[in-house]
Amino acid sequence: MTTPMLEIRNLHVRIEEREILKGVNLVVPKGEVHAIMGRNGSGKSTLSYVLAGKEDYEVTEGEVLLDGVNILEMEPSERAVAGLFLAFQYPIEIPGVATMTFLKAALNAQRKARGEVEISTPDFMRAVKESGKQLNIDSEMLKRALNVGFSGGEKKRAEILQMALLKPKMCILDETDSGLDIDALQVVSNGVNSLRDGERAMLVITHYQRLLNHIVPDVVHVFSDGRVVESGGKELALELEAKGYADFDSAAA
Amino acid sequence: MNAIVRLGPAELTLIEQLKNLGAHAEAERLTAAGLPTRRVESYHYTDLKALLRSVPELGTAGGAGAPHFDIPGTWRVAIVNGAIGSPIGAPHGVTAGTVSGSVLTERDDMLVRLNSALTQQSLSLEISGDIAEPLVIDRQFAGEAAHVATGAKIFVADGAKVTIVEVYSGSEAAHLGNHATYLAIGKGAEVTHITLNLMDKAATHFATNEYLISESARLRTLAIQAGGALSRTQLLPRYVGKGAYADITGLSLVGDGQHADITMDAQHAVPNTSSKPLFKSIARGRSKAVVQGRLVVARDAQKTDAKLMAQGLMLSDEAEILTKPELEIYADDVVCGHGSTCGRLDDDHLFYLMARGIDKITAETMLVRAFLAALVDPIENQSLKAALTGVIDGWLENA
Ligand SMILES: Nc1ncnc2c1ncn2[C@@H]1O[C@H](COP(=O)(O)OP(=O)(O)OP(=O)(O)O)[C@@H](O)[C@H]1O
Ligand SMILES: [Mg+2]
Repeated sequence: MTTPMLEIRNLHVRIEEREILKGVNLVVPKGEVHAIMGRNGSGKSTLSYVLAGKEDYEVTEGEVLLDGVNILEMEPSERAVAGLFLAFQYPIEIPGVATMTFLKAALNAQRKARGEVEISTPDFMRAVKESGKQLNIDSEMLKRALNVGFSGGEKKRAEILQMALLKPKMCILDETDSGLDIDALQVVSNGVNSLRDGERAMLVITHYQRLLNHIVPDVVHVFSDGRVVESGGKELALELEAKGYADFDSAAA
Repeated sequence: MNAIVRLGPAELTLIEQLKNLGAHAEAERLTAAGLPTRRVESYHYTDLKALLRSVPELGTAGGAGAPHFDIPGTWRVAIVNGAIGSPIGAPHGVTAGTVSGSVLTERDDMLVRLNSALTQQSLSLEISGDIAEPLVIDRQFAGEAAHVATGAKIFVADGAKVTIVEVYSGSEAAHLGNHATYLAIGKGAEVTHITLNLMDKAATHFATNEYLISESARLRTLAIQAGGALSRTQLLPRYVGKGAYADITGLSLVGDGQHADITMDAQHAVPNTSSKPLFKSIARGRSKAVVQGRLVVARDAQKTDAKLMAQGLMLSDEAEILTKPELEIYADDVVCGHGSTCGRLDDDHLFYLMARGIDKITAETMLVRAFLAALVDPIENQSLKAALTGVIDGWLENA
């Protein structure tokens, strides 16, 4: 069996004395797209932050392996250059940091970690322009400070633009569909789908089955009260939409 | 004033020096009052009596004065240990010379008084037309620790346009500089005035910049304090013509053992003047940055539009940033205000950048630069902007 891209083993996490993740087990093999669905407050974003390495979370038990390597002791930047990418549910606005400066710094950080030289400005401009076009991103928007004054949908598209530029091997998308209009959903989904290949894995967190019509998952996981309570094929999402979460809560008990 | 003032070694040396230069009245005043302490309102956070432990000997002319800090494409005049170099090759429209004595308007302030009493000769610059090359006044200290008072009197003619940079630097010694600049800006003139304190870590740096801003003139200032154990830059803008506008800005970069103070006292004297003072401080190690900003709006100065902002960034637990805004408004139809913020780098910002692979040090540097963008970005001259960015980056790297 080949090493999975992401393997989460019995992950327990606390915030300020309160246990939020209560033994998450999840395996995403290479080349697969998995979806996580679960009600508000069940711990989906917490999971995504813990994977990306945000401070303030206390991991009390468990392991997270990225392509076979335990990442829990790594800095967020080390995880990112190791190939992990989180598209934020709420992308952060950073006044004073130009979007292009940021994109270039991020791209060069990846290259540096791979022992490559810095990208030339023309190559960089070309890459941004190409990905931007695919995602319908106005180049005027990229001249502004990072995420500052971007609409909700623009922020989400900017996240996918970053993902397209950085070409991570493990993508985590936290509610990338929320705040997108129907056309934008199509555009973003196309952007995500074009990144699918035999190697890259994705974990797509969403509340809506609709997204999964566009980004068709290999596996759907139901998340409840800090753990995965059910896993199945893409039809599980339809079942959830029809029945709601109540039936799955009992499975958690 | 009846209590007997106990004088310390710094005060005794100063009194001696004043007497030797024939400034007997000032020597007597200092003997009676001593250096200002925290009980003097404008020195509350910068208690000179406590902070100034000793005063070196008065400097004597010396040294050739190659620039410590060179900005390409500028015209430069050096003042080394107080001696004004012969200004050669001034650009067309600039007349350089000297005037005897000091340059500041009389004022009840110890640093101003001392500068006035001690300065023997000052640089004079008269500027007209559009001067493309920035003019650099390079005040240097050479050799052993020296006490030096200097002055520069600058007249910018109506409609002129110029960028003036003042650099303070010197040898590795506990120098004491007390500098003055008087800058009178004619009607409709546009002036950028940058001061850059790059003194040695053991030095004491005092500078007072007085600005007279005429009708429809526009002034942008940036006072950067990056050197010195003890620094205080006093900014005294006076808005004396309708439509006068100034962006008075300042930046203190302090690290272990440094105390830097920026004190502004702005006088809006006539109607329809406006200003946006913006002061930023970054403190790390055991250090202190002080910002005091006073806006005085005269009864006649209706429609004054003035907003004072102070922002501090603390990079260590031992750092202190102290801010004191004061509004004194005698007119009734004005828009004046002040605000201040002080904090650390935002953890969420840092996480977001790092989540994209940017290492912690680089991410922090990006955020600090972002914090400073509003001060540096408006500077038009690109080689000057690059030089200032270099100073800031150098400071960040030498943590
Ligand atoms: N910093 C924090 N401090 C305290 N509690 C927190 C913190 N962050 C999250 N929580 C709590 O942890 C629980 C899980 O939150 P999380 O954001 O992971 O939920 P979610 O599944 O992503 O919800 P949603 O679908 O609404 O995005 C919630 O009860 C939330 O209030
Ligand atoms: Mg969430």
